[in-house]
Amino acid sequence: MTLTDAELERYSRQLVMPEWSGAAQERLRSAGAMVIGAGALGCPAATYLAAAGIGRIGVVDDDDIELSNLHRQPLHLTPDVGGRKAENAMVKLGFLNPEVVVEPFPARLEDLNAEALLAGADVVVDCSDSFATRYLVNDTCCTLGIPLVEAGVLGLSGLVLSIRPGESACYRCAFPVEPPAGSVPSCREAGVLGAIGGVLGSLQALEAIKLVTGVGEPLCDRILQFEGATAAPTVIATRRRADCPACGDLVRPAPTAAAKPERV
Amino acid sequence: MTSAPPASRELDLTGVPCPLNWVRTRLALEAMLPGQELVVRLDSGEPRESVPRSAREEGHLVREDAEHVRIVRR
Repeated sequence: MTLTDAELERYSRQLVMPEWSGAAQERLRSAGAMVIGAGALGCPAATYLAAAGIGRIGVVDDDDIELSNLHRQPLHLTPDVGGRKAENAMVKLGFLNPEVVVEPFPARLEDLNAEALLAGADVVVDCSDSFATRYLVNDTCCTLGIPLVEAGVLGLSGLVLSIRPGESACYRCAFPVEPPAGSVPSCREAGVLGAIGGVLGSLQALEAIKLVTGVGEPLCDRILQFEGATAAPTVIATRRRADCPACGDLVRPAPTAAAKPERV
Repeated sequence: MTSAPPASRELDLTGVPCPLNWVRTRLALEAMLPGQELVVRLDSGEPRESVPRSAREEGHLVREDAEHVRIVRR
């Protein structure tokens, strides 16, 4: 499985990075990501995953594109208003990188379909906009053992956390108490600046790339919080909880089991 | 174990611009074993300056003559 001439040229600026390698590029190409939500986080996350050369992307979103989405969801352009987000994301990502197989799932992730939608993914990127979905994605990834990148944005701030189920803290370990419905304002109520979605969604793509290639150190057991108003990043340590209902029963592998990058 | 395979590879990268010439060099080195030598032909000018520099920066042993750049994989 070697890289074609067109791939060498397309990816040349990352293939020259000392941290990267042909093997890393091939691992990325053989990986599939499920991106939950094609909104403020999902647009940049899917864009950078496709641009970097991930093999497959599934986009789960049942929303239609509205004019009020465009300020923060840069895969959706003004002529696309009224179309479906998942299908439009497939079209635009195909323009960006036809080497990537993009599959749209115009569905809402729910208890009944979560396992079927996520099974087989090498990494899940949760770009959803509700706590209920976030906990469901987390719990399903723990059940299936799929690495996961969680993030959320509101107003001028956001956070991101990478999860290796059974190895590092899951979303429920870090945030054990689900906020009661209505207690945290939504984007619709509190607003969000599009560029914050760009920052956090791009970080999600970066984390997903690290998780599937073994390059770098993912944000496992560390929550990165970014306050856009002051441009202040904060890293908060977190850890697994033995009594976590999502991942507490998963076996902890030996500390040496973590995938390490192969150096050139 | 001192029997590093002495096999070498040649790569003609004349006409291949920067940084694609270094990409190809790097991938060729990645597929070789430590101690093996890669003999590269490059255009004069920027390619002859930057590919050997990049190879040295990654810790490979580089020797140059008028026609070739010889890189021993680290």
